[in-house]
Amino acid sequence: MPEIRSQIVALLPRLRRLARVLTRDTVDADDLVQLTVERALSRTDLYRPGTRLDSWMFRIMKNAWIDESRARGRRGVVLAAEEDGLQVGSDGAGAMEARLAAREVEAAMSTLPEDQRIAVALVLVEGLSYREAAEVLEVPEGTLTSRLVRGRQALISRLGEAAR
Amino acid sequence: MSREERVIAYVDGELGASDAAAFERDLASDAALAAEVDQQRRLRERILSAYGAIAEEPTPDRLVLSACAANQNRRFGWRHWAAIAASLAVGVTVGFVVPHQRGALAAHDGVLVARAGLAQALETQLASDTGPIRVGLSFKDADGDYCRTFQSTPDRLAGLACRENGRWIAHATLAWSPAPAPQYRTAGSELPPAVLTAVDELIAGDPLDAAAERAARDARWRR
Repeated sequence: MPEIRSQIVALLPRLRRLARVLTRDTVDADDLVQLTVERALSRTDLYRPGTRLDSWMFRIMKNAWIDESRARGRRGVVLAAEEDGLQVGSDGAGAMEARLAAREVEAAMSTLPEDQRIAVALVLVEGLSYREAAEVLEVPEGTLTSRLVRGRQALISRLGEAAR
Repeated sequence: MSREERVIAYVDGELGASDAAAFERDLASDAALAAEVDQQRRLRERILSAYGAIAEEPTPDRLVLSACAANQNRRFGWRHWAAIAASLAVGVTVGFVVPHQRGALAAHDGVLVARAGLAQALETQLASDTGPIRVGLSFKDADGDYCRTFQSTPDRLAGLACRENGRWIAHATLAWSPAPAPQYRTAGSELPPAVLTAVDELIAGDPLDAAAERAARDARWRR
């Protein structure tokens, strides 16, 4: 397999995660990942070897999402992703507690405006530097920082001091 | 830089060494600032652990396949060759097969690896051998790895796999079932066009002839 394909395959879990942040929906997220992969593969000649492939794919995903949500006219519509009910089950209380905590965070994230949501995800979840995240979003670094500040303040007030 | 910006830049490791040192001096004498740092750190950890679990979920096969799709060339993408396959032949079902972990292919480390009967056929069979799994063309790719096309009746699967680090890795897979009248077909025309396209993309030089195929098999496909 040409090397870039195996690198893309290795990135799929992180692409899915970012897509979840963007779309707030598990099915839409996987559709967005597929669209991103197809777009990336159709323009691998634009990828500069030696630069971060994850950042490059994140940018493609961001633009694909903008196109997609414009086409569907649902930007700014808040969807609650409640489809998978909590299962109290075989994996026990610890796992359920972790799922609850994760869901609480996801719910808080989903209330953020899209630009803050993706800024927080790129820096706090994906570990990009401010410069790298600003490049993905194609905004000045100062814009990124203020989105990070506002997004995090909103998260802290929503999640409250109960932060474990 | 605002106070809040400074706090998050510190927590995110974005302050340079001297700025960070200055910030830490302020921290020592400003309990409120220290509390803000703590709060930001806790938030960071909470978000990381919440989203960590998502990246641990198994990746759906269709996404792996979309990344492994045989042709990245826009003027001849897989939709195109799937359309050609549909217009041509009996026996070729359009679309990618979704492999199951228990089937002929398993996803490992982000690639699809041939297993069970398919792996054995690729490793040991010659094009002249008959059986439920047939191996067709064998050739070398640009890296010198051996690649072989296959058609598996039990798995209802055709494709192309290359031997990399002792594993046969699928580079193209297509739902396939034997044509109703195989006796009218030549060896070459049996291969779905999709697989031939994948061969074209990877082949370096000519396909192996029967003697070279046997020699490569006997040398266990070492480069």
